[in-house]
Amino acid sequence: MMDYVDLVFLTMGLLALSSVLFTFLTVRTKDLMYAVIYSSVQSVAYALIYFLLLAPDIVLVYVAVAVGIYPLVIILLIKKVGRYEVRV
Amino acid sequence: MRDIVFMSLLVVIILALTYLTYSGGLGDLPPQDIRVIARNYLNLTYNQEISWLWAASPEAVTAIVWDYRGLDTLFETVVFYGAILAALTLFRSISKIPEFVSSAGLSLIVKRVTAIVTLAILTVAASTALHGHLTPGGGFQGGAIASVAPLLLLVVFGKQFFIERKITYSKLLSLRNISLVLLGLNSVALVILGFLIGVGGFVFQNQAKAVSVLSYPSYLLDVPLGGSLFFFNLFEFLAVASGFTLVFTILLSRDDTLRKELEGEELGY
Repeated sequence: MMDYVDLVFLTMGLLALSSVLFTFLTVRTKDLMYAVIYSSVQSVAYALIYFLLLAPDIVLVYVAVAVGIYPLVIILLIKKVGRYEVRV
Repeated sequence: MRDIVFMSLLVVIILALTYLTYSGGLGDLPPQDIRVIARNYLNLTYNQEISWLWAASPEAVTAIVWDYRGLDTLFETVVFYGAILAALTLFRSISKIPEFVSSAGLSLIVKRVTAIVTLAILTVAASTALHGHLTPGGGFQGGAIASVAPLLLLVVFGKQFFIERKITYSKLLSLRNISLVLLGLNSVALVILGFLIGVGGFVFQNQAKAVSVLSYPSYLLDVPLGGSLFFFNLFEFLAVASGFTLVFTILLSRDDTLRKELEGEELGY
């Protein structure tokens, strides 16, 4: 009933939806460390979408940057500005 | 209330995009035919029967990135080089300040695990970069993966670990500059060679073309070498990995050192 291509597109759709959810959590959460983790999860969903779209070259650099380098830079920033977001 | 508005806006956007895609906004999904330009690249990149147009690399993406569209990638590399250079210039005096505080790093368990993982990361990075002309990957990808290893080492073992092993700022900077010079030379190597022996050549030449007979070797033993692609990937790998490592070394300096650098002189910020 459901062939391979349908399965790939369904997975891509679910990943895209979950990335929207994690983007929402990233924006809404008050704890910035959690925001970094949510943002990384969203990036992983994007990396999987790239993989399903047959772009392995992008995946290789995307995973390294989104899970390794980008959280580091943001965490260094959080270390300087404080972990909890305060509304003024 | 704001949350509800925000959520409903999100849902509306998702539904609108879904509707556009579903009603054919992106054409047939999945596409039923290969586009002309893709067909050309697939036909030419590793077709030995049309070897006056090939790039000698089984990986079409790398062939496009470093051969057919080599100049674009060179400019990308230059932009990346400039960005790192700007960061290094901002904090240039930090490199001269010795770190007197030696951090002991994290616990023994974390250190052992990191040591094993670092080896694996470097292996994957080298394989990604050096097989860039055979499998998906390439110099930038390999360099980005490799730069995670020194990042882990800096956090887990402390900066002292690098200093004790004589991996200094200036050595990394030299490695980066040398590999960028070699990358530039690689793109004009056949022009210079052609000039010296009196035949034509062009910038970013890889394999022999109708107007020029010079060529990089296309095989190493019985493995396809991809001509200049292998060397481009190698030098880009070294340049990207050392560039990222330099920036991490600066970012992970002590807080007061960094702040003093940003405060500037009598004019303040």
